[in-house]
Amino acid sequence: MHLLPTNEQVQIVDTVAAFLSNLAPVERLRPDKHGQIGNPDASLWPQLGELGFLGLGLAEDDGGIGLGAVEEALVFREYGRNLVSTEIFGITLGAHLAAESNLNTASEIVAGNIRVGIANPRGAITSENGLSASFHLMEAGEAELIVVLTPDGPHLLPASAFEDGEDCPGMDSHNLLHRATLRNARPLSSAASSNAHRSRALLLSAAYASGLSKAALDMAVDYAKMREQFGKVIGSFQAVKHKCADMAIAAEVASCQVDFASVVVAENRPDALYHATAAKLVAVDAALKNGATNIQVHGAIGFTAETDAHVYLKRAHTIDVLGGDLRKTRASMMGQAAPA
Amino acid sequence: MSASGDMSSGYSFNIHGPPAWADNFCDCLETSLMNLDFSPEDEAFRAEARDWLHDNVPREERPPSDDGMRAFDLAWQKLQYDGGWAGVSWPEEYGGRGLGLTRQLIWYEEYARAGAPNAELLFVGCNHAAPTIMTWGTDEQKQYHLPRILKGEVAWCQGFSEPNNGSDLGGLRCRAVVDGDHLVVNGSKIWTSSAHLADWQELLVRTDTVAPKHKGISWVICDMNTPGIELRPILIMTAPGHHHFNQVFYNNVRIPLSNVVGPLNEGWKVAMSTLGFERGTASMSEQIRYNVVVEKLVEMARERFGASALEHDEIGARLAQLRAESAAVRAMTYSIASRAAGGQPPGSEASLMRAFFSQLQQRIRRIALDVIGEDALELPDTNDPWIRPYLRSYSNTIAAGTSEIQRNIIGERVLGLPR
Repeated sequence: MHLLPTNEQVQIVDTVAAFLSNLAPVERLRPDKHGQIGNPDASLWPQLGELGFLGLGLAEDDGGIGLGAVEEALVFREYGRNLVSTEIFGITLGAHLAAESNLNTASEIVAGNIRVGIANPRGAITSENGLSASFHLMEAGEAELIVVLTPDGPHLLPASAFEDGEDCPGMDSHNLLHRATLRNARPLSSAASSNAHRSRALLLSAAYASGLSKAALDMAVDYAKMREQFGKVIGSFQAVKHKCADMAIAAEVASCQVDFASVVVAENRPDALYHATAAKLVAVDAALKNGATNIQVHGAIGFTAETDAHVYLKRAHTIDVLGGDLRKTRASMMGQAAPA
Repeated sequence: MSASGDMSSGYSFNIHGPPAWADNFCDCLETSLMNLDFSPEDEAFRAEARDWLHDNVPREERPPSDDGMRAFDLAWQKLQYDGGWAGVSWPEEYGGRGLGLTRQLIWYEEYARAGAPNAELLFVGCNHAAPTIMTWGTDEQKQYHLPRILKGEVAWCQGFSEPNNGSDLGGLRCRAVVDGDHLVVNGSKIWTSSAHLADWQELLVRTDTVAPKHKGISWVICDMNTPGIELRPILIMTAPGHHHFNQVFYNNVRIPLSNVVGPLNEGWKVAMSTLGFERGTASMSEQIRYNVVVEKLVEMARERFGASALEHDEIGARLAQLRAESAAVRAMTYSIASRAAGGQPPGSEASLMRAFFSQLQQRIRRIALDVIGEDALELPDTNDPWIRPYLRSYSNTIAAGTSEIQRNIIGERVLGLPR
């Protein structure tokens, strides 16, 4: 039993963190004076692909690196910290689905050459003759493929299967949103091991949310050390200090459960779904709470678009609803048996 | 949770790392990859532990207080000692088995699974006094006290908090003056859990009134039968007549200087290593036990409301979050154990976990009342797994450093915010 990352894993994290701080600093999301819609990360995919990050968990035969869920989760935490476009979920989950179904596209996806958006259901899905439902498409403007995140797990479909697409302004203004519909659409991927894909989807959402919670904590603490009122930095007041401590606790809880779940998922243990579900519950809770507290610690400036505080909160709401929000995830948790 | 009701706290956290003896406990890791595998030897140990617990866990209920509780806890400790389970990770020279932290963790997991009693009267001896004496004690102190603690021959209590020094522990005033080869103690301690059932006390006294407040304290072994010690019982809020706390008065109490642990006037440093230990691995068994408590509540709620209601009701949503949070506490425990097994001192994650766990325990105890419903107004005479523990849970965010002190420690030591 061992839960600390190896030197090699630390290296992977350091490399991706350095890459993102150079090419995708959070400041890239500052709106210009006209406001900004969408996420400018498409140019990252071929570079991340070349470095091997998009195929970390895929077998070498499928164009991947041959590592597993542990490394994927570690890297998704960094994606969360940097608010990397949610297309990263489409790419990663889509590559796994394509590889498992022996679609030739897997290696092209992990090379960053095929765009993969995501679709999140608005309400109920019927799956009698293929999938039918109304969806929010995310980061799907130029997507060739779409990963549909249903409560039962992800499925891969061609973007052309979606009908009635219409623009839809998004609350998370850096996450490009459309509405669209599926009618009796057949997934490209087989659903042979949907629980494994479902666990991975939950785990990666949790890892991303854990990164959001840590980034919001770091931002709040930095500000509390610098901002002065009444002649002292505000972090010396217990009212602010204790808020920061609560953020640190939430981020640590999320991070530990994500680590634990990533090992359970990587080892394909019977309790993988349970621990991935638990990870999403604590990590999204942390991301939402820390996103909100970060704004409060900043005071009025936190309420403006001139700092990045709001983007962590908004992205936390986006991650919350992916594949089922906290309410639905809690219901799913109560439908599961506790691990032996 | 600490069985100690002592509400004292240090402002420092873990400034000295783990006790030196912890080094001896470190596992040699077979692999450095993240994994949840236990070796075949570990699994054999687990099976052995499970069998032994199955055959030996006391079937009778633990008496709720006083002499019956003392006899019960000491007998259970002796039974574990005789079976070779009392000090899984204690060094062999002190009567333990000298196994690693992983085995200790496995023992706690099986202990929780078997529903073995929480013999909290022994907590201070096993988890405070013993590690402190192992780290700082003389050979004579070690040889006398450690086997008696492990064999369940004695109970210890803690003498840290004072009527005017709770969170501000460093300002303690209970005075001890050197007189020949003795210390003479005058003053008072308070919130002393089970002092009326204890043979020994770990006692913090002020031995230098001139030095800065943290430089004039000594950590002393006090025999509770020494003339001049008087107790005032303090009833607690869990049930009518529940005598748990005491105020302890010292009137010219003579303690041999040979009972000072660590150097005279270095007691603050000695005490902090003990508190650091409590905030690290000592509460592992409790952390693991709460997964079992949550599942009992889920079971009760299923019976009362029906399985499908749990997927829709507010109480189901709360239970789901508690399941996730208990799972996370186990993950945090594993993470801390991995760090310790790799020879790294318990760091900031231990204080984060303690602060989280104490509040989680309260949420878990609180929801029990909603699961039980109206009958929660009844206080059962015996077999009360929910009402007294619920009321008792209010101490979780006070004992061994209030939640507010914990947040100060996290803010200052972990996040680097100014005082």
